[in-house]
Amino acid sequence: MLALLKLIQSIIATLHSEGTPGQVAFGIALGSALGLTPIMNVHNLVVLSALVLLNVSFGGGMIGWALFVPVGFLLDPAFDAIGSRLLAEPSLRPLWTDMFNTPLVPYTNFNNTVVLGSVVGWLVLTIPIFFAARYGVARYRATIGERVRRSRFYKAITASKLYNAYRLFRPE
Amino acid sequence: MRLKIFRWKAIGPLLLFLAVVVALVFLFAEPVAKSTTEEVSTELLGTQVDVGALDLIPREASVDLRALQVADPFDLGRNLIEADEIRLKLNPEALSEKKLVVERFALRGMRFGTARKTPARPVEGDGFAPQALRAVRQWAGQFDVPLLKLTPIDTIRQLVLNPTQLTTVRQAQSLVSRTDSTRQALEQSFKQLDIRATVDSARALTDRLSKSNVRTLGLEGTRQAIESGRRTLREVEQAKVRVEGLEGEVRGGVETLGSGLKALDQARRQDYAFAKSLLQLPSFSAPDIGNAFFGKVSIDRFQQALYWAQLARHYMPPGLLPREDPGPDRLRASGSTVRFPKEKEWPSFLVQLGEIDFAFEGDNPLRGNYEASVRGLTSAPALYGRPMLVQARRSAAGSAIASIDVDAVIDHVSPRVRDSVAARLRGIQLPSFDLPGLPVRLAPGTGSSNLTFALTGDQLLGRWTIGSKQVSWALDTTGRALNEIERLVWRVVSGLDDLSVEATVRGALRSPRLSVASNLDRAIAQRLDAVIGEEVAKAERMVRAKVDSIVAEKVEPVKRQVTQVQTEVNQRIAAERERLEQVEAQLQAELKRLTGGLAPEIKLPGVNF
Repeated sequence: MLALLKLIQSIIATLHSEGTPGQVAFGIALGSALGLTPIMNVHNLVVLSALVLLNVSFGGGMIGWALFVPVGFLLDPAFDAIGSRLLAEPSLRPLWTDMFNTPLVPYTNFNNTVVLGSVVGWLVLTIPIFFAARYGVARYRATIGERVRRSRFYKAITASKLYNAYRLFRPE
Repeated sequence: MRLKIFRWKAIGPLLLFLAVVVALVFLFAEPVAKSTTEEVSTELLGTQVDVGALDLIPREASVDLRALQVADPFDLGRNLIEADEIRLKLNPEALSEKKLVVERFALRGMRFGTARKTPARPVEGDGFAPQALRAVRQWAGQFDVPLLKLTPIDTIRQLVLNPTQLTTVRQAQSLVSRTDSTRQALEQSFKQLDIRATVDSARALTDRLSKSNVRTLGLEGTRQAIESGRRTLREVEQAKVRVEGLEGEVRGGVETLGSGLKALDQARRQDYAFAKSLLQLPSFSAPDIGNAFFGKVSIDRFQQALYWAQLARHYMPPGLLPREDPGPDRLRASGSTVRFPKEKEWPSFLVQLGEIDFAFEGDNPLRGNYEASVRGLTSAPALYGRPMLVQARRSAAGSAIASIDVDAVIDHVSPRVRDSVAARLRGIQLPSFDLPGLPVRLAPGTGSSNLTFALTGDQLLGRWTIGSKQVSWALDTTGRALNEIERLVWRVVSGLDDLSVEATVRGALRSPRLSVASNLDRAIAQRLDAVIGEEVAKAERMVRAKVDSIVAEKVEPVKRQVTQVQTEVNQRIAAERERLEQVEAQLQAELKRLTGGLAPEIKLPGVNF
């Protein structure tokens, strides 16, 4: 319940934050990696660190994660096919072989078809996700954003103590 | 206003988060490693693997496993191996590449064949090991181990045979319908052949030519007559080709019917065996007796060796091509994980040297202390470059076991893989077992046992022998009394002090042959032959006569029908050919007469002037 409340707070607050639509969209694009790729992998630690350290919307990242988890599950067969194709590609075999025999690199699980396919899929989709999210946030703020801000629901959400914790990662 | 790129104040929370992650890893690494080891080993070996405790010793790059139990996949109430402690010294450099290279491992307090407190769970699913286990069981099931029949002769009364049970009768009925359809098909072909028109036209032309000469025809008329003759001869030639084609077709059909007749003879032999099995005649063929007594126990030995050989082949493949395995279990799809071996690099898994001291305990006849070593157990034999070697030795004269020598070579370095194991045990207390089909228990006493097993490509050669000179026999007649033949067998076996059994399995993996021979079956066979051979032969003659009487009335008409069809079609073909050859010869003669002195240079098809 607490997690759900936090998620709603995060979504509502992000959409109305002072962050520019670009910052929110960048956050969503980064957060989509957490949803599209299997979560327990080293690259997601890098993505999470970028979400925290870069001046992008952390809440946007959480929205991206939440939105793209079901998409990730749906696209798993496609990711598996992409990964299989890439790992079986004869011209790439020397690269994979070198990576497989380089210290620490194998811990990224790049040699798993779903991990590789989903990371490649995310990299390809990042730009479209960024632009679509930026357009969506700008339109939201220009249309129904102000009405939502004046609603009791929004006020109740932003009054919660958890909101204060969230503000720590608010874009500047 | 200049937009900031970094959020420096978030470094603190991020570091805190990472610290929490590290703390969680530190706290839960051992339980997670323990459960993962159990899960992965169970999946890989196809049998339940339990680890009592697992300690990670990072400073020494070592792992300690305690209270390890590996259940026997063929007997879930037993442990194949149990070890008090296993210390694995890992190679840190290989570990940085996510590869498990065991530089050295030492096992202490190892025991074999101990009883489990609770039976192991059977491993099911589509993993390789459960599939291999199912396949090996199927392989073992394909051997036709006969049951020893020791029915007294006086119980053989009347043999009642239902004709529909006999293969020969069913095949004869099928052959009747095949003969009918062949006859119809041939009839149709003869109709389509239609050589009557060709023959009639050739005859008409021959008649016409016979009544004329060059003078009456004139030069132009003669030329036209020759041209007509040539055309007709070509038609006759074409008709002959059609007849030859039909002859080929007929020959095929007739041969099929002939093979059907031969199959009837073969089916009759099957029916003799079937009818004989209904009488349950006592078998006194030595190979049958050997198979019945020791076939099952021999196959059990070979199927276990085959199972482990199959696992070794799967997990230790030759060559350096990328290998694909199922990915890890997770909420998301597992996918496949591909390994990319590289020359002069570490394989994903390698045990360079394992030294084992172990003990058999309890009532086990093999009890005592042993030493063994394992070298080159690896997932990529081509990278390691040498075959895997397993050796186990013990010499202790005077104890329950005088000596034990085990050598195994798993050679998957080149594509021509070869797995072999040789185990020689001397002075061992051989386990007692019941003779199948008889209430007799055989206690071989102290003796020797050898097992050699070699799998080269898909060619299998296995040999299992046991020998003893201190055999004792126990008869258990509670529940039922022995019949006359069983008493005879008992008298034979109870007089034997020595036992030598040799079971051999050889051939392609898909169609192996098992043969078992022992001094026991030879002695029993000779005695049974002397006592009941005549009676059995009489019963066999009765069986043959009965089968023959039923089969003859169904088969003889079929044979006649087939012979009739064969004769008829051969005669018709010969007649058609003769008609064509006759008319061709007549026409050629007339043409020769007509052109004799006038145009000797004219060459007619098939005619040499």
